[in-house]
Amino acid sequence: MDDEAACPRCKTTKYRNPSLKLMVNVCGHTLCESCVDLLFLKGSGSCPQCNVPLRRNNFRIQLFEDPQVEKEVDIRKRILRDYNKREEDFETLEEFNDYLEDIEAIVFNLCHNIDLLETNKKIEQYKKDNREVIMRNKTKLGREEYEIESMLELEKQMEEQRKKELEDLENETKKRKQREKEKLIDDLQSGAGNATEILAKFTEEAEKIKEEAKIVPAAKPATQFSTGIKFGSTADQLFLPYKIEEEPLYTHEPLVIYNEGPNPPSAVEIEMKGFSEHVRPEWPAERAGGYKCVIACQRALQEAFQGLFHGS
Amino acid sequence: MFPNSSQKKYWSYKSVNELSALRIKQNQDFISQNQNFMQEGQIKEYFLTPQEEYLLLKQYELYLRDFCRRFQPAMPRSVIGTAFHYFKRFYLNNSPMDFHPKEILATCVYLSCKVEEFNVSIKQFSENIKGDREKAEDIILSNELLLMQHLNYYLTVHNPFRPVEGFLIDIKTRCSLIDPERLRAGIEDFLDKTFLTDACVLYSPSQIALAAVLHSACKVEENLDSYVTDNLFQNARDKLPTLIDAIRKIRVMVKNVVPPPRDTIKMIEKKLEICRNQANNPDSDM
Repeated sequence: MDDEAACPRCKTTKYRNPSLKLMVNVCGHTLCESCVDLLFLKGSGSCPQCNVPLRRNNFRIQLFEDPQVEKEVDIRKRILRDYNKREEDFETLEEFNDYLEDIEAIVFNLCHNIDLLETNKKIEQYKKDNREVIMRNKTKLGREEYEIESMLELEKQMEEQRKKELEDLENETKKRKQREKEKLIDDLQSGAGNATEILAKFTEEAEKIKEEAKIVPAAKPATQFSTGIKFGSTADQLFLPYKIEEEPLYTHEPLVIYNEGPNPPSAVEIEMKGFSEHVRPEWPAERAGGYKCVIACQRALQEAFQGLFHGS
Repeated sequence: MFPNSSQKKYWSYKSVNELSALRIKQNQDFISQNQNFMQEGQIKEYFLTPQEEYLLLKQYELYLRDFCRRFQPAMPRSVIGTAFHYFKRFYLNNSPMDFHPKEILATCVYLSCKVEEFNVSIKQFSENIKGDREKAEDIILSNELLLMQHLNYYLTVHNPFRPVEGFLIDIKTRCSLIDPERLRAGIEDFLDKTFLTDACVLYSPSQIALAAVLHSACKVEENLDSYVTDNLFQNARDKLPTLIDAIRKIRVMVKNVVPPPRDTIKMIEKKLEICRNQANNPDSDM
């Protein structure tokens, strides 16, 4: 099938030129790479088939066999850049569905050149009406993408590090083995002492090294919390943003105590004026729980003073 | 906090007259529901009069006090105070002919143990009751919800015991009285007696506490009037007359506590056995 793909201008086919690359632009018409080079030397020009003005850097390699699909992909990409509302932006599912339906209609119209003017006008109008939402969603999208990317990056880094560690370990053991062997041969060669003795010593040492290898290599220094968050990096970079509901701000209203009696002394006064000398001081164990004798003293005084004006 | 409590809002009354009007109304309501075409004279013979009801309840308040005193394990005084409150509140809205005070008494104490966090099981509780314990348990448990309903689920009670402690601390700190601890016996005696009066549904716990403190001071021939006027009411002299009036009335009430005559009570009890609401009598055939 690929063999039949041909450039409409120079009529080269895949069969004749296996390295043929078909390119496509926003209008959905194909051209081979060499024709693109030739026609768009200046960076821009018009499509040889439909005369639409095109830019050279908008040419892409054709992925789908049908150039019409390619065109639709292009249009859809462009439209979705502006029509980027999400389900959360709508109150009901039905409204969201209507919105999706709208997008499909626009894409279809643009693909098949139906009501081009009107559709474009509609898009402009939409852009104007929803500028704020579009901008907000764009930045949100960008941020989310960035976060996911950084997460992937981190994972990749860790993978590499692990690999490298393993490799290092392997190399190390290999090198050591080599050294040991060389040493044995040297010893045997120089002939210092009995050959069997040397051999026995060698095997003994080899055992020792094996033992050592069993000991797990020292744990690498911790660079992250057990939750997987790196030291020093703030959490909000890693997690998707939390949606904050807008509420009226909290205002603190101080508690007004209705005494119906003379004002009892405050906690400070109780200690200063010696009220607390007449109650049992708290034990150390009670202090641990936050109890102080002033609390009991204050409560007794409050209850004594409250309600003295009752009935008047 | 007594000033914004349900006790002040729903269970404090203005005057003695208001209380007796309520009691007379409960009496009449019960009679009109149960009179069954009786003649005027017959009604007086058959049913209890408000006065008889009042004497009966006074007698049962004495029983309540004795029951609590004899209770094993010994109960904190706040339990007794709360039980008295419940008992009084219940019979401000019900007639003793409708619910026998003997049963309500035990239920009040049981509920008060729970509310005041004095932990006794129903088994432990019924060991303090003479007679058929199983039947008593049955009566208490079945009456517990009824009692709470008639209290309108306002179970928190402010007793005068903590205010007394507050006054003693204050007197020790700001007053030159020698050894205020010797007032304690007199205070406790006075407070015990206030529960036999209607003071707790008429006055605030701190007023009752202050009355107790002043009364006790009087007994040991000390005078704390200057403490009240110069320390407590220094900035609120205009409120002083109400307090003085309240304290005077509380002291008069306590002074007038007399146990009802025995033979009268015996007669009333006999009358009650006949005229009580048989639907609420566990021994009846109904």
